[in-house]
Parts: sequence; structure tokens; C-alpha cells
Amino acid sequence: MSFAKINDDILRTLHAPGPLWYAGILLALSAFAVGAFAFLHQAQTGLGVAGYEHPILWSIYITNFVFWVGIAHSGTLISAVLFLFRARWRTAVSRSAEAMTVFAVATAGLFPILHLGRPWFFYWLIPYPNERQLWVNFRSPLVWDLFAITTYLTVSALFLYLGLMPDIAAARDKVKDWRRRIYRLLALGWLGTSRQWRHYTALYGFFAALATPLVISVHSIVSWDFAMAILPGWHSTIFAPYFVAGAIFSGTAMVITLLIPMRRIFRLETYITVHHFENLSKLMLTTSLIVGYAYLVEFFVAWYSGSPFEQGTFYDRMFGQYWVYSWVMVTCNTVLPLLLFVKAVRTSLTALFILSIFVNIGMWLERYVIIVTSLSHDFDPANWSGIYQPTWVEAAITVGSFGMFFTLFLLFIKNFPSVSITEMKETMGQAAEVGPGGASQEPV
Amino acid sequence: MKQGNSPLVEVVERRTFLKVLGSAGPAAAITACSPIPPEKIIPFVTPPEDVIPGVATWYASVCGECPAGCGTLVRTREGRAVKVEGNPEHPVNRGGLCVRGQSTLQGHYNPDRFAGPRRRRVTDATAGRSVLEAIPWEEAQQDLVDRLQSLRAAGRGDRVAVVTPLLTGTLAKLVSAWVEALGGARWVQYEPFGYEPIREAHDRIFGRPELPHFDFSAADLLVSFGADFLETFGSPVGYARDHAVQRQVRNGDKARFIQLEPRLSMTGASADVWHSITPNTEGLVAAAMVQIIVSEERAQGVTNEVLSQVADLVSTVSVESAADIAGLPVDTLRQLARDFSDPTLGPGRTLAVGGGVGVCGTSATAAQSAIALLNYVAGNIGTTVDFTTASTFAAATYADMQELTQAMRSGEVELAIIYNVNPVFNMPGPVNFAEALAQVPFVTSLSSLPDETTAQADLLLPSHTALESWGDSNPRRGVYGLMQPTMQPIFDTRHVGDLMIEVGRALGGDTAANFPTRGGFYRFLRDEWEQMLTEAGPPAESDEQDAQTRDFEDDWADVLRRGGTSFPVEPVTIAVSSAFFETDLVSELTPVDQGHSYTLITYPSLHFFDGRGANRPWLQEIPEPMLKTTWGSGLEMTEDTAAAIGAVEGQVVTVTSDHGQVDASVIITPYLANDVVAIAIGQGHTNFGRYADNRGVNPMVLLAAEPEIGGGVRWSGTGIDLTPRALSRPIPRLQRTFDQEDRGMAQSVSLAALVAGDVHTEEHSFSLHAEHDHPVHRWGMAIDLDACNGCNACVAACYAENNVPVMGADRMRRGRTMSWLRIERFDTPAANGDKPDNRFLPMLCQQCDHAPCETVCPVFATYHTEEGLNAQVYNRCVGTRYCSNNCPYKVRRFNWFMPEFETPLNLQLNPDVTSRSSGVMEKCTFCVQRIQDGKETARDENRPVQDGDVSPACAQSCPAQAIVFGDMNDPDSRVSKLSDDARAYHALGAFNTRPAVTYLKKVTRDG
Repeated sequence: MSFAKINDDILRTLHAPGPLWYAGILLALSAFAVGAFAFLHQAQTGLGVAGYEHPILWSIYITNFVFWVGIAHSGTLISAVLFLFRARWRTAVSRSAEAMTVFAVATAGLFPILHLGRPWFFYWLIPYPNERQLWVNFRSPLVWDLFAITTYLTVSALFLYLGLMPDIAAARDKVKDWRRRIYRLLALGWLGTSRQWRHYTALYGFFAALATPLVISVHSIVSWDFAMAILPGWHSTIFAPYFVAGAIFSGTAMVITLLIPMRRIFRLETYITVHHFENLSKLMLTTSLIVGYAYLVEFFVAWYSGSPFEQGTFYDRMFGQYWVYSWVMVTCNTVLPLLLFVKAVRTSLTALFILSIFVNIGMWLERYVIIVTSLSHDFDPANWSGIYQPTWVEAAITVGSFGMFFTLFLLFIKNFPSVSITEMKETMGQAAEVGPGGASQEPV
Repeated sequence: MKQGNSPLVEVVERRTFLKVLGSAGPAAAITACSPIPPEKIIPFVTPPEDVIPGVATWYASVCGECPAGCGTLVRTREGRAVKVEGNPEHPVNRGGLCVRGQSTLQGHYNPDRFAGPRRRRVTDATAGRSVLEAIPWEEAQQDLVDRLQSLRAAGRGDRVAVVTPLLTGTLAKLVSAWVEALGGARWVQYEPFGYEPIREAHDRIFGRPELPHFDFSAADLLVSFGADFLETFGSPVGYARDHAVQRQVRNGDKARFIQLEPRLSMTGASADVWHSITPNTEGLVAAAMVQIIVSEERAQGVTNEVLSQVADLVSTVSVESAADIAGLPVDTLRQLARDFSDPTLGPGRTLAVGGGVGVCGTSATAAQSAIALLNYVAGNIGTTVDFTTASTFAAATYADMQELTQAMRSGEVELAIIYNVNPVFNMPGPVNFAEALAQVPFVTSLSSLPDETTAQADLLLPSHTALESWGDSNPRRGVYGLMQPTMQPIFDTRHVGDLMIEVGRALGGDTAANFPTRGGFYRFLRDEWEQMLTEAGPPAESDEQDAQTRDFEDDWADVLRRGGTSFPVEPVTIAVSSAFFETDLVSELTPVDQGHSYTLITYPSLHFFDGRGANRPWLQEIPEPMLKTTWGSGLEMTEDTAAAIGAVEGQVVTVTSDHGQVDASVIITPYLANDVVAIAIGQGHTNFGRYADNRGVNPMVLLAAEPEIGGGVRWSGTGIDLTPRALSRPIPRLQRTFDQEDRGMAQSVSLAALVAGDVHTEEHSFSLHAEHDHPVHRWGMAIDLDACNGCNACVAACYAENNVPVMGADRMRRGRTMSWLRIERFDTPAANGDKPDNRFLPMLCQQCDHAPCETVCPVFATYHTEEGLNAQVYNRCVGTRYCSNNCPYKVRRFNWFMPEFETPLNLQLNPDVTSRSSGVMEKCTFCVQRIQDGKETARDENRPVQDGDVSPACAQSCPAQAIVFGDMNDPDSRVSKLSDDARAYHALGAFNTRPAVTYLKKVTRDG
């Protein structure tokens, strides 16, 4: 395999798309359009078109928000954390992971806005100087959230862009159509000189180091949206690590869900090997065990607290009217991943794909269960609500969020190198020294 | 016609009205009452002195929602009535007002009201199709006059029937003069809840066919036989007040209250002891109690001669079998009788009350006779049962109405005039009043609102509502209330009195002279009052000083301002009629087996009364106090009964009696006997406007046509069969569980523990945060759970005061009520079902000092004011709803949609309160606008705000005075003192939210 072949193989994805790509983007755009329509309808008519049932005043939108933030974390984890740990196998998937991060954060960021009663005033959460001398409440976790999400979006976007820069330059040299002008602009005059490479490597390492703590901080802050409230089922000190582990867990699952078809569609079998998937599934297993432990701790603390409020909430969660959701969640997140102890499962792409789908469902349900069941069964029994039933609007907006994510992703892979050419070559260069696919502790 | 829907037009006309009223001259008043509205809008160059835009004008008036005749104060702003409150000076209600009274405004501003006179024109005689055409008043009135004249000329004036509700005072006099002018027309005053058995029983025993005044404030032991005296019976607001005062803990004791009824009513829920008894055995229990009292020689204040007659009368009662039939332990029954005649209480310190509809089965008159006898042998007649100030309730009996129906059916009625009654809806199904009315060649309706009866009218002459009318009432002997118009008519309607006077004059002949030539009903009313006040001398309350110089103008202004007057009444002496002892009371009392699987109880609805309230959106939306159902009614049954017939909550069941059949949704409730089911009266309308139609079920179709012996409807004890259908139509319920699971939301303390000082008080918790500074005021509230009876008056008052929107049935299914104040109900059913530990908990924003909602709002839309309020800035709210999620009490309400107030309901909106828009959170702020008003008034008067200056709408309205509001910074304020009471606690106090609302624990006692 030569460096030139890498260039050709990877940049081939930038050529005129095939029917499969068109089918995919059509589907994604349609889903997005349905979601956009539903949101406009909701904004115009009132939030009541969603299925909120007093006192369940947060539900699927916030579930989706946490879910997408969790997805974003997996991207960062693969691209930045594994980079710092010099896990070379990440090379094949790091670009997709970085892109996924940015698009997932962007999708996630829409949910807190579109769930507002008056979404057109979302900017009131931003502390900006104004003639009315209005300020935001820095004690509110929602303000922390705003900062966390915008920071994360900024850093992950810059990280993605930085990694792309040498590859854009390659594309600039390769592509002949109208996109060349754009690549030329985006490449910022990249020539591939040693000086540029040195700066590039230092900066990439710097961003990786910056993005890694964000995985912890962002999801901790997201978890504090709940943990800082006094609601039983939310108000818990375990929430930050529990949510971070959950985010990595669901993120890894999502990476597997995305990579397996991508690998086949773009014929990247040479670069993304079963060995990589096995490594991912080990990570998934580890985080699954952490999540399972967190579940146990939550229930233990509720029991140990002696508080009828805590106990009532957790009892209701497992045996109340939402019991199906909770047990499906437990099964998907803690029982099924135990299969990953078996090597045959870890190395079977079909099994991994199915399992990753279950984990995605389970982790979405986890957020749903935390949000909805806690709200439906709070302090005062007179408020306890009936079972929350989402409407078509919530379903459409949820589908629309996937539509938006995949639209962005499909556009990205058609216009930018979806595997890092730079890192591929780098890995090849080192392969001779440490053997294929192996992780090296040596500095680059 | 310049009358329109524009509020702007209203304002100008209203000002004109006020200007004229301000001069108070008779001529001016005539103009004001003129049915012809001003044709031109005159720009307001010189404003009248007594009207300041932005400042409310109050009018004293009388509530017209039920025959109780409570006094009201109507607040108007810029010519629109915006709030009705109880008149603290009125002897009947003394400041409180019930949920129905609060809803007066929604009858007045009802979008379904007739906009003007209408005449029916048949478009297709064969298909029975017709349309209502708008016609001018002159033409409509002339039509009626012509028809009446021709009938009178033909000597068939007695073939005219006039059906009105119970009328007292001047309008009653006018109508009696009018029916005479029509040539001896038949006049029936129809009240569906006619208290016939009580009146008949008192007639039999004491020769007084009256509803006496029950003095709940003097009863140390109250035994109520199904009397819903806190809901609809007699004068519920006044009774609630008396009862609450009497039930306060005094000298280490508390008056007792025992309720016996087959279905736990809201009234029964407040009782110390509740006994479930078999329907229609109330009389038997009362007779057994009489027997025990007499045989154990515990009777008080009765001559030996009468006593032996009583003893003979009840001698055949077997206490054991009575207890057995009623389903009551014998010992309980004996103890009840002994307690009722407890000599240590002294004579006349107990009270037995038999319900109006509650005790109204096949033997109701006999039952009420036994209850009256029970009061008699306990010496209560003349003390707690007072005939001196008896109610003037003298409506026709149901039997009279049935007679009228027969007359209509046989063609003896050629013209029917219906005014504000709805017999088509209210009479039992087999009577088929609708069919009888269809036999009447010409039907005229004077009602303001469309209903099932008016739907059959050929000519509609809509009258003013109470808020647009002059009038008066005489609810009980010696009490006179005066009703005055509070605003210009909204629609092209006329005062019913004006109409009658004009028709009476237009008919000509000798009788024309009985009607005033000018001034209409206003003149008629004033003349009556002039005569009355002149005869009675100056009012007792008037200033001694000017008693010599004052003339009628002064008196008139005075009674208008105060909303009426009262006179001392000659005491009535009560003697037992010996003829009564010849009746066979005991055999009448034994219930008859109906030969059906289940027994049906119907009961008056707290909200809808006999059905007249069903077109008020507030009354539909505010949850029923016991079941917490909204926008509907259904078939109440126990879980066991439901299981026995194979039905579940919400399932439709066909209810069949010997008289009719109806489909109803099942509502599960624990408080019924297993073979008894219940349906509330008042829903199931078919033609009563957009808010009432096709909701719930009308149980009247199941009842027998034959009246009870006293002439009343046999409301209870109808035998029925139940057949479940494969259909589910659940009724939205706003509270799903009534078990508080030891969370201490609504707390109680036993009387013994309270007296012994053994009360667990809250530990004052520690906080790391700096306390809020409240430099001038810190508003607080104390709510006495022992006084609260769950009547929802505060909830309706809050809706009216704070522009709380109504959301409708579908949104209730998702719990999306907008109510800022709700009454939570909790209970712990005892094993034998006899003593529900029922507690009502009014839940509103607790205005926490450490408010969880405040810290989480990202934009400071909610914050703590320096007066201790948890303020909500609607304009700043972006709608994250985090505040509600973090509120442990869940008292914040989110606007899911843009609120709708259908024209002209929008005219009721309080201009002092912002109407919130879609997407923002809203909540109770202790009526901050009223706080502001109180502070401004104090400032204008150059004095500090005093305790009692400010009263939120809920506290103002509470009939039982359970809610006290004031400044916690003032150590002498009532609320400060109550907050330090031994019974004080805070809801969820352990969470250290430090609420400004203090609850006082309910005081329970065993027996």
C-alpha cells in the first residue's frame, strides 16, 4: 500500500455520489423537514401540542438533548482521548468521530431551544449587555448548560477543522470542480512544510488535551440540570460520573452503529478492522459495568436514605406505571452488554451491530426514565400524573433531529475526507516499527 | 342598536350610566333603567366626579344563583363587573361566597346568552324545522300582548301558565299582580330542590310548612342525616360560617359532628364520624333515636303529655331491627341517641338536620317528621331549629309542577311563559315535560340563556341577568337584600319586571292601574321599599343623630350602599299538632324493596346545583371536591361493585330503572355501600350552551314520576340494574391518588393530644444561606385545615380575580389545569369504612423564603420580592419550565396555549392583572394587585397598612374563614399569631423551603 493509494482511496469518497448516497440524504432531509414542520407548528400553536402532562414538564426534548450530548462525547473520546493515549487503531474512525461530535452537539443544542415556551427569546439566556440592565441567573444550571454546550461546540468544531486542514489541502490538490475554491480557502494555504507540520502536531495535541476534560465537564454539567434540582430521582451526587460513563457508553454504541455500515459502504475494510471493533466493544463493556453499578448505587442510596420521597420515586420507577421502560432500560444497558465478555460476540460485527442498537435504545430510555418517572411521581401525591403519552409533534421532532444529524453527516462525508489521510500515512509509517494495528507508547 | 361586543362601546355607555346614577334623582334613575340603550355615543368631555379610571367601583347586591340570597359586593372597573364577592355586612353569608356565587360573572358574560328578542319561524312544518329570527323589542312585546289580550278577552286568562323560579320580595309581588292582570293566570314558582318533605313534615308536626333556620353556631352536637349543608342545602355559605365558628377548639373541647348517609358527601367528609347507612333508612334511625331518648327519659323541654304521645308514636320501633336495616351497630345507634340527648350539654344544644335531596326517598316526609321529632325531644326547637327566622322558601312543590304538566298535556294551557327555570331538564324523565310543553300552542321564554326548555319557546324575550337588574330578596324572615344593576346590559335584553309592567299596562282594563306609569320596575321596587322602610322606621343600624332629620332618600341611599337591611322579627311559638300523633309514622318509615340489583342515589352537585351552573366554564373545570372529576359526571360505585358487574373506571355502563335508561361512565369511589351507586344532578345537558352540552349524565331520566307523599321528587332509592358496555369514556380526574403515603402533606392532631399539649412541632432548620431581608412587610398566610371543608369557593375566586384561563376537557386529561389554587383531598379509609380520615388541603404557591424555583430560573423571571413574595415576571419568562420541575408543591402553571376568553367572557378580565400569553409560567402571588391596592389605600389615608386591609381573593371568599392573610412582620397580626399556633406546620417543611403559608393541622376527635 502506498501513500498515493491512501490518497486515492480516501479521496474517492469525494467523487460524484452514487444512488445510495442520494437515497440516504433524501431520507435524512425528509426526516429533517418533518421535524422542522413539527417545530414550526409547535412554536405557532403553543407547547401544548406536545404530550406534556402536568407535572411532567420536561420529557422527550430533554431526553433527546442528553442523548445527543452523550453521542457527542463518544466522538471526542475516540478522537481526542484515544489520541492522547496513542491508541493507533482510532485513526480509521477518528475523523468520523470528530464530525459526529460536532453534529451531535449542534443537534443537541437545538433541543433546549425548541423546548422553550417562547423559543424566540432563547437569547435571553445569554448574558449580554442591554439597556434594560437585565442579567442572567448564574445560579441556574441552565445557564451553566448554555456555557458548557457552546464551549463544547466551539472546541469540537475547531478540533475537527484543525484535523481536516492537511486533508483539505490534499483534496484541494485532487478535486477539480467548484469545491476546489472552497478547499483552497479552508486549507489556509497549507503546503505541508515541516514547520507547518510541527505547528499542526502541537496544536492538534493541544486541542485533544483541551477537549478531553470537556467530556467530563460538559456531561457533568448536563447531569447537574437534574442533580441540582431537589426532585427525588434527580437530586443525587452520583449524577456527574454516572452521566459521563453513560455518555461514553452510549457514544461508543453509536460509533459502532455508524461505523459498521460506513465501513461497508465505503469499502474501508482495510483501514477499520475487526480488531478496532473489538477494542470499541471492550470500552462499551467497561462503561456498561459502570452504568450498571450506578443503577445499583442509586437504588441503594434511595433505600438507605430512609426518605419516603426517595424510596417512593425509585419504587415507582421500577414497579409503577413506567415499569416497562425501566426494565427495558436495565436489560439493554446492563444485561445484554454482558455478552461482550464473550470474544465471539466482540468479533462478530453482526452481533455488535445489533447489540449497539440495543444500547442506543437503552441509553435513550435511561434519560427518558430519569426525566419522566421522577417528574411524574414527586413530592405531593396529589400531583402524581397519569402515564405520559407523547404526541406526533414530539415524535416528528425526534425523527427530525436524526434527520438533521444524518443530513450533516452525509454532506460531510461527501465533501471532506472521512478518514484522516494524515494519520493513515503516519500509522503506515510507524507500522513497520511496531507492527500492524498495534498501539505504540512512543511519541510521534 | 349600538350594543355590541366592543368593550370600548361599553365603557362609554357605562360612564353615562354612572353619571346618571350619581345624581340619584328618580328621573335620572328611570333613564338609567330604561330598556332602550342610548343611540349615540357621547364623547366623555366632563368625567363624572365619582368615577376615576383605574379605580374600582363597588356595588352591593344580592346573589341570584340559588334561593339562599347571599349578599354580594360587585367590583366594577370602567363599567364592567369583574368580580363578585360576599358582602361582610349581609346577615346571611357575612362575607363568604360559594363557588356558584363566584361564577355569577360567567352566567352574566356567557357567550351563549340571547343577544335580543327572537321569534320562531317555521321553515318546514312537515320536517319540524324552524329558525329563530331576531325581531325588535316593540314587535316581540306586542306579539305577547296581543296573544294575552285575546286570551283574556275570551275569558281564558286562566289558561296562561307562568313558571318562574322561587321569587321573594318585590318581584314576587309584581308577578302576582301581573298574573291577576293576565286574567287569573296560573303561576308556579318552580325550584327543583323544593324541600317538600321538610316543609310537609313541619306542617304535619308544628303546623308550619317551613324550612326553619338551622343554627349551626349553637349546636354542640350536630347529627346530619345526609344534609349537604356545606354544599347546596338551605343556605350553605351562612351554615358553613356558623359551623366553622362552632367547630373551633374552645376550652379544650370542640363541637361534634356526625354524619349519616349512604354516600360520603363533601359535607360528610368534614364530619368527626361518618356512618354509612342504607338509603332511605334515615327516618328509621331518627325514630329509633327518639324511642331511645323517650324510653330512657332523656327528653328535654317536652311536657309529659306530649312525651307520652311521642312514646306511643314510636313505641313500635325496634331499635335492633332499625339498626339492622340501616346497617348500623345497635350500640352505635344507642350511643348516638344518648349523646344527642346528653343532659350535660343542656337543652337545645344539639341539632339534627335531614338533607333536602339526601333524605328524599320513598318515605322522605316520614323521615323528616322523625328528624323533626328528634329535635323536638332534645329540646332543639326554638334554639338550634329556629322558626322565627325561618326561610321564606315557599316554592311550588314538585307535585304542583306535575299537575301543571298534566294541564299542559290535556290542553288546558294555551300560553306558557317561562322565566329562568328549566323543567325539561330538571323534572324526572317519565313526566316528559318536554312533550307536555309541546302541547302548549304558544310558549314564551323570558330566560337570559338558552336551555332545554327555552329551546321549545316560540317567542324569546330575554331578560337581564342579576348583575344588570334591580331587585330584592327576602331569603328569611326579617332579612331583606337589595339588588342593584352593576353595569349596563351587555345585550339587547330587558328587565323582566319592566317587561311585565309594560305588558300589564298595555293589556289595559282595570288592572292596568296596578302598574306604575313611569319608572318601570325601579319605581315599583322603590315604592315598595319606601313603604317597608316607613313602616319599619329608620333602620336599626342608622346613626342615632340624624334619625330625626333623615328621610327616605337617606334610607334608600343607605340600604343601597349596604345591600339591604334587616328587621327584628316577632318570635314564633311552636306547638305540636295533636293530629300528627294519629299518623302511622313507623310503618311509613320502613323501606320497601325495589326488586332491583342496585340502588341509585342522586345528589345535588356542589358546582351545578340543579344543573343551572353547568354552562359556567369555571364550574366545569374546577374539580369536583370529592372525586376530583372535571367536565363531566358519571356513575359512582365502589371497586367491588365495579368488579361485580365487570366494569372498570371510565367504562360506560347502561343504567336501567323502571322509568328510564341512561349510559354513564364509571367513577370508582370507596365511599358508597356496595349495592349502592350514585349520580350527581346537574350534568347531561343537551341544549344549555357550548360549555354544558353533551357532558356527563342526567340522572333525572331514571327517577319515578310519582311524587313522594310530601309532594317532592323521590331523588334517592330508585332501584336500578347495571349493564356494562364495551366502551370507555373516562372522565378526567385531576387527582389520581387520595393516599398521602405518610408524606405529611395534610396533617392532623387529635383533640386529646392538642389539649394535653402533646403536639409534635416542626424543628426549625438550619441554613447556610443568608436570610432574605423583608424591611417593611412580609406577607404570609395561615390556612386552617380544621375549618376548610373543600368547597372550592377560593378556587373560583382565584379564577375570577386572576384571569385564570379555562382549558377544557381534553386538556384536563393531561392535567393541564391552569388553576393557581387547588384543593387537594387526602384520606385514609378506615377498615369499617365508617370513619374516613378525610382532609382537604388548599394548595397554592407557598411563597417560600428559600424557593427552589427561584434559583433555577436562568433569566430571573421569578425572584423574591422584599415583601416576601415569590414574584413571577411574565414578560421575562422564556418558558424553560425548570421552576415547575423544581417546585415541590407543583403550584406553578404553564401556558400550553394562548389562553382564550370567548367574547364576552373577556369583559370579565380583571384589568389589574396581566393576561398571560402562550409559553410562560404563571402562579399565585398572594393577589399582589390587592396587596398594592391595600397599600395605596392606606397611603391615601395617611396611615400604615393594618391587619385585615389586604385580603387575597381566596381568603375573602372563604365561607368558613379558613384562610387568614396578613403581614408576618407585624407580631400582632392574626397570621403571625396563627403561625405560632400549636397546630402550625409547613407543607414539606423538612425540605427547608421555608414557606410563607402556614397550615394549621386538622383536629380529629374520636366520636
